[in-house]
Amino acid sequence: MTGNRGVARLLPGKCIGCGERCLQSCPKDAIAMDAAGAPVIAPERCVGCGLCVRACPAQALEMTGGAGAVQVEAAANSVGGDDFSAWHGVWVVVEQFAGVAARVSWELLGVGRELANKRHTDLGAVIIGHRVEPLAAEAARYGAQIVYLLDAPVYASYRTASYCAAVCHLVEKHQPEIVLLGATGQGRDLAGAVATRLATGLTADCTGLDIDERGFLLQTRPAFGGNIMATILCERFRPQMATVRPKVMPLPEPLERPSATVVHDAFAPEEAFVAVKVLEVLRAQGESEGVDIAAADIIVAGGRGLRSRENFALLRELADVLGGVVAASRCAVDAGWIGHDRQVGQTGKTVRPKLYIACGISGAIQHKVGMASSEVIVAINSDPDAPIFQIATYGIVGDLFQIVPLLTQHIRALRGEAISA
Amino acid sequence: MMRSICFGILLALATGFFVWGCRDRLRLMLAGRSEARWDRLWERLRGVVVYAFGQRRVLRRKFGRNHFIIFWAFMVLLLANGEFVASGLNPAWSLDFLPQALLCPLRFLFDAVSLLALLAVGVAALRRIFFPPDYLASRYVGARSGEAFLILGFIALLMLAYFILNGARIALGSMHNASWMPISRMAGHFLGGLSPRTLHGVAECAWWLHAVVLLAFMNLLPRSKHMHILTVIPNIFFRKLEQPDLPSREDFSSGTAFGVADSKDFTWKDLLDTFSCAECGRCQEVCPAFQTGKPLSPRDIVHNIKIHLLAGGKLGPLVGAFGEGHCSGEELWSCTACGACQNICPALIEHPGKILRMRRFLVEMQARFPEELYGFFENMEQRGNPWGIMPAERERWAAAQTVREFVAGKTEWLVYVGCAGAFDSRCQQVLRALCRVLDAAGLDWGTLGNAELCCGESLRRLGNEYMFEKMAQENVRCLQEHGVGKVMTVCPHCFSTLKNDYRAYEADFEVWHHSQVLAHLAQSGRLRLAPADLWGKVLYHDPCTLGRHNREFAAPRAVVAASCGQMPLEFPRHGEEGFCCGAGGGRMWMEESTGERINRTRLREGLALAPDTLCTACPYCLIMLEDAAKDEGLELKVRDIAEITAQALQEAG
Repeated sequence: MTGNRGVARLLPGKCIGCGERCLQSCPKDAIAMDAAGAPVIAPERCVGCGLCVRACPAQALEMTGGAGAVQVEAAANSVGGDDFSAWHGVWVVVEQFAGVAARVSWELLGVGRELANKRHTDLGAVIIGHRVEPLAAEAARYGAQIVYLLDAPVYASYRTASYCAAVCHLVEKHQPEIVLLGATGQGRDLAGAVATRLATGLTADCTGLDIDERGFLLQTRPAFGGNIMATILCERFRPQMATVRPKVMPLPEPLERPSATVVHDAFAPEEAFVAVKVLEVLRAQGESEGVDIAAADIIVAGGRGLRSRENFALLRELADVLGGVVAASRCAVDAGWIGHDRQVGQTGKTVRPKLYIACGISGAIQHKVGMASSEVIVAINSDPDAPIFQIATYGIVGDLFQIVPLLTQHIRALRGEAISA
Repeated sequence: MMRSICFGILLALATGFFVWGCRDRLRLMLAGRSEARWDRLWERLRGVVVYAFGQRRVLRRKFGRNHFIIFWAFMVLLLANGEFVASGLNPAWSLDFLPQALLCPLRFLFDAVSLLALLAVGVAALRRIFFPPDYLASRYVGARSGEAFLILGFIALLMLAYFILNGARIALGSMHNASWMPISRMAGHFLGGLSPRTLHGVAECAWWLHAVVLLAFMNLLPRSKHMHILTVIPNIFFRKLEQPDLPSREDFSSGTAFGVADSKDFTWKDLLDTFSCAECGRCQEVCPAFQTGKPLSPRDIVHNIKIHLLAGGKLGPLVGAFGEGHCSGEELWSCTACGACQNICPALIEHPGKILRMRRFLVEMQARFPEELYGFFENMEQRGNPWGIMPAERERWAAAQTVREFVAGKTEWLVYVGCAGAFDSRCQQVLRALCRVLDAAGLDWGTLGNAELCCGESLRRLGNEYMFEKMAQENVRCLQEHGVGKVMTVCPHCFSTLKNDYRAYEADFEVWHHSQVLAHLAQSGRLRLAPADLWGKVLYHDPCTLGRHNREFAAPRAVVAASCGQMPLEFPRHGEEGFCCGAGGGRMWMEESTGERINRTRLREGLALAPDTLCTACPYCLIMLEDAAKDEGLELKVRDIAEITAQALQEAG
């Protein structure tokens, strides 16, 4: 799927006159309805987004044409066009809190390095904050060649207005071709605001980034509930913006001899222009001691089948040898076997680890929706009809009190071999 | 003469003070928002006869008989007290002008009901002192409250003064028809030894005691829970006639505020409700939230609105804070919308609607709701189902069978699958069982497949009226576009929403619950059923939305009877008084971390009957009760009536 997918077309005789679903779905008002309630598509307005094709309950619409078939008029204030020769550099906007950078920012510098190499351009890091100069050296260690540093009291706490203004200022001044941000709470907020202000495209939650033969950024992300991978291009606007979730990209090895140019920029909006004031920063309760299961790569989860609080020790052992964390279904939490911060499901947390081992969890829908998009699901349950097996990658029917210790033992043995070898 | 003047002045003062007290409250009440409650006068009057004079709801509890006696004593003695007041102003104004044939029985009646009332208040006082039921007390008013005893004392004093006064008169020989007044005559017998002078003094004292207590009683009314004596009859007259009681729609034009933030934002009828509460506590006795240790008591909600209203803005916001005169989020989010409180209330107070509108304020004006609901609201908005599953997966439940598409003008029945039926693997089994039964009966049915949306019931109960409105409009349009004439649902929540809530959106289709369809098919002989042995003793749980809200008690039981060969066992609380499974009112999507779990409480209630199978007719109840059975470590089978029917079909071969 690319950004240039052609124009929507009505297949003759298939429209059921459902009542303007395509018309309502069209973001560009390219669809009008005729007297029979069938759509009339204005090709000059269609941007090929395909929303109407999806909205149509009768599969009466399709996309035709393809690359080059569409002419998009750039908005007057946008930086759209076809000549992007002035745009250079790959940037990573570094996220920091109280002078400590988010790990995802350094991960992005890793992938940013590869992109910059392919484009034969520089890798830049944008650091915004107050008293954050030490971060410049750290960014350099992770590969940044230019560090744009905006250090002012107005940036002491993250606020959309001030940070957005700062990033937009830098982008307009230096014209980078690619801007990457972490798909964290802050990053998602900032990326959306910046992309809107600059009238450019933004692809959220990318799982892969690459450069095509024309030098454009290929942004790959799951679409349609993870059923397909979509590669998205931003062909007509600059910068090309993307966010990536934490732990999707590997952390690069720090450079031994880092060297970077630090560009100090004095730009700082007046405090009076930032409507939001940060009065106090409160930490979520239990955050300091608890584990964030949503960020874990490996989760060993237990349910009703565990039967008691003590039995969770089995799972903890398995989690320890795997380097993962322990989570639970609702009933285990309700029974008081484990804290609510470990609950996965509809009323708990949604997790997407690389490996999810479900022990004694039947897989009721309330739990399933919290973990179904895990990469690999291993289910251990004594009931062969348990719904968890419908979504499990690997299912083990049997007594978890036998299987889990065996599993722990085997993995420990494998680890031991690996270490001794 | 002197007495008439003194009494006249006292009466004028007391009446003035009484009117002042009433006017105050009446004005507060009329400041509420408008609401039309004047339609169907005849039906309204009939309700007054049944619920007020017949005391139907009062008599639903054993002790209600006591209230019945006091109520009717009051009614009869209204006449006696009218005579008392009139003759106080002018001794010539009495009932003595009536013909003897009428007067004599009347005097006897006065005497008899006075004695009954005296006994009844004695019993009531003893009950409050020695056996106060839990539900009499709430957070703010105790069972042994001074006010309760004051009122009982007043009534007792009135009756005693009446007997002493008449006794003294009889002893003096100044009472006509004394032979018709056995109790007073007995009192006269006791006083017989006194001198006429003393008797005059006794009569005078008794008269003044009666007069003062009567006027004090009158003035206590508007200033206490005994206001209900004045307000319950109008409250019953203005009751909601629709069954079930549907939430009102919101006006979403710009500039309007949504929900209820302040006591004054309620309608006049809501405020009349608060003045009609007699604090009997039956609502909290049947409330699943209160009974399992949640912070909610329907009685407190009504009480708090009244306190807030009377404080006239001195208490700050009504919704949010906790304490007397406030309704906190914890209380409001605890409600399961089961409707038991409204159904039991002898004064026909409408509690759930009030809770709902305060939820709307929290959701639509303040965006303050339990954390778990963020995901729920988002899923509903983006994916049209509570779990956020891809709409393209809606058809998957039918995996083993071919999906039967509903064809406009051809297919007779639309099976509205519902989100649970489409996505929850347990409820999918119910759907498949239902399909087998429908096919065996030769019914012509189809589904909307992936075009179906959630009915939005939970959204509405959770106060997200805006999203509900959008989904309701879309659903009605979708169903009408498909030319749907008859809809069948497996979920009572879908059933009630399509059938009742959607009427406001010009829905014109016929809606059946699958229990009704199955009962109909079984009774008309279109299904060949042979009872299966494997179910053992079957216990039936009434889903609130099907039973209490939609009065469908018979059909699911008939289905069980047809499929099992006998009527199901009943929970101690069943039918109209069935107890919630804990998932209604959007509670399905929230954590239940305070107190006992409602589903386990419900399950334990039925365990004394030693059932082998627990049967119900609602996906929510099925999920909750099956969960409870697992939590309790029981081998109990929990089934939907469709599964039981499918099994009976299989047995029949």
